[in-house]
Amino acid sequence: MGLTRWLDERLDLAGIRRGLLDREVPDRLTWWHTLGSATLTVFLIQVITGIVLATYYAPSPDHAYESIRFVDRQVASGSLLRAIHHWGASAMVVLIIAHVVRVFSVGAYKYPREANWLVGVVLLLVVLGFSFTGYLLPWDQKAYWATAVGTNIGGTTPVVGGYVVTLLRGGAELGAATLTRFYAFHVLWLPMVLGVFVLVHLAVVIRQGIAPLPATLEQGAPARTTDPRYPAYYRAAYAGSKRRGVRFWPDIIGKDAAVSLAVVLVIVLLALALGAPLEAPADPSDTAYVPRPEWYFLPLYQLLKLVPGSLESLVAFGVPTALIVTLLALPFFDTRSKRNLLRRPVALVGLVVILGGSGLLIGAAVRQAGPAVPPEVGRPLTSRERAGRALFQSEQCTGCHTVAGKGGNQGPDLSDIGLHHSAAWLHSYVEDPSRFHPGTKMPSFGPPTLSHEEIEELAQYLSSLRGPPGKRAEPQYADTFPEAPKP
Amino acid sequence: MVQPAEPGTRRRFLKWLTGIGAIGSAALAGIPALRAFISPIFGRAAPQSWVKLGEADLFDPDVPTKVDFAQTVTDAWVESRELHSVWVTTADGEHFTVFSGRCTHLGCSFAYDKAQKRFQCPCHQGMFDPKTGAVLGGPPPRPLDQLETKIDKGDLYVAYQDFRVGTAQKIAV
Repeated sequence: MGLTRWLDERLDLAGIRRGLLDREVPDRLTWWHTLGSATLTVFLIQVITGIVLATYYAPSPDHAYESIRFVDRQVASGSLLRAIHHWGASAMVVLIIAHVVRVFSVGAYKYPREANWLVGVVLLLVVLGFSFTGYLLPWDQKAYWATAVGTNIGGTTPVVGGYVVTLLRGGAELGAATLTRFYAFHVLWLPMVLGVFVLVHLAVVIRQGIAPLPATLEQGAPARTTDPRYPAYYRAAYAGSKRRGVRFWPDIIGKDAAVSLAVVLVIVLLALALGAPLEAPADPSDTAYVPRPEWYFLPLYQLLKLVPGSLESLVAFGVPTALIVTLLALPFFDTRSKRNLLRRPVALVGLVVILGGSGLLIGAAVRQAGPAVPPEVGRPLTSRERAGRALFQSEQCTGCHTVAGKGGNQGPDLSDIGLHHSAAWLHSYVEDPSRFHPGTKMPSFGPPTLSHEEIEELAQYLSSLRGPPGKRAEPQYADTFPEAPKP
Repeated sequence: MVQPAEPGTRRRFLKWLTGIGAIGSAALAGIPALRAFISPIFGRAAPQSWVKLGEADLFDPDVPTKVDFAQTVTDAWVESRELHSVWVTTADGEHFTVFSGRCTHLGCSFAYDKAQKRFQCPCHQGMFDPKTGAVLGGPPPRPLDQLETKIDKGDLYVAYQDFRVGTAQKIAV
């Protein structure tokens, strides 16, 4: 091909091909070695879906929620796109943690890859930063309240906590300035930092070569990597493993591509099947809302529930900080040359404790979870509806009725009652149920039990219950009223 | 390492796998992204919304009447209320002509000159015939923009629409 030769003469494409694609890599690389490239694939998907989402997103409390609904309802493939971005975010956290665990388990952070391990730790933190800044953006209840809690955790930093919260929020309160700040970080700062560090991470992998399996670097090795004989030993052992190795292209890339495709397929299937959640719009005055973070922050969330209040700020700040410091310091205090996890008891126990502990905490948090999706009308509740909700609780309605998975089962589930009856009908019914259903067990709430004003509040609240947001059904009712009782 | 029996076949398979993986991943995420990005070109025509101007009987024959109204306008995810005005004329109280309240020259609001029996625009002295909307004088490039009307249960409705100003053709915006 003329163009290829023309470019080759100028850019030495063949040289790039020899250096990048034809390079020898150590033998017996496992499927686990594909986790890094799968993470990169998901990152690229996040970039593409994120750019398109950003073209439709308005980072302002007035319009953020509405613009997300616009994406879900009006943009072609918009809800699928947002769902891919949502599940891609989770996939990225899963993959990057799996990648860290893989690298840790084979001791690949040891000589000569200490620096690239540090780059990797920064990448892990940036990915968590993406998650933290990303879920504020829809400006729904979860976004608002989880971020309120998240920024408060920043406030537990000793001495400078107050400044940290103010800096995170762009002011004393969570609001418009917080949203633009998080948006700027999510779409400008973090992608830039991640992009640069990913390039460094990859360049170093290409320069140093992929770490071989532990056994290759253990036979006859000096006990410590700080031993002056270690570099020479390493070079010889690594060269040996490469001689028995395979070509990067297509042997390694083929596996990487297959795993990446499988990961993308899973993300898209999850997106198609489950969509992306969108709760009711953020309502800063709603004190009844119980915020829960994304699943990958649940271990810390659950841990904070378990410790006594006096230790809370210590744990909130201390545990994440200790983990980060441990990760950063790891290659410098662990200089023993053993790489197989089974011959590194401390590392093994540490890994099991952290992964097992996190798993148990997530399990506990999930078991204690309340209703996953609160009822919504697609807007904040009005003050009358909120008053009605308070009455719904105080009049013990939940003793017999269930709303969004919470409550008794004596009476009908009211989670989507607003789809079936008008507020006027509900008012009449609550006032005197026996008029509609003679012999019903439901007591009448007409005066003097509740005033008409209170019954109306209750009816307005009930009318706002339209089932989970995904259903998006329009109310359909043809209410019939029995004849009014003769005076 | 155990060498596969036919390294050539194996390499071909791996190259093929790479192609499938790359194209498949790109398509799975790329197609929804592309569709969403070019979504505006699938734009659905905005549904015609009728604005009620009032009872048809109440409009005086021969004297144009100005009606101001507010319309909720949805611009993507931003809902806002816009104020518009139209002029209603009728010769017989049964057939109505409704003109947009904006002069076709530069979009100023014009007024009805009772003495001269014509519409007069204060900005550049554009003049229009109140019955047909034809230009009687001044710079306007085209007659007044006539709007679609209907009468339903005795009420007069108009389908309000804005048109580009300053052009000889009537082009909806």
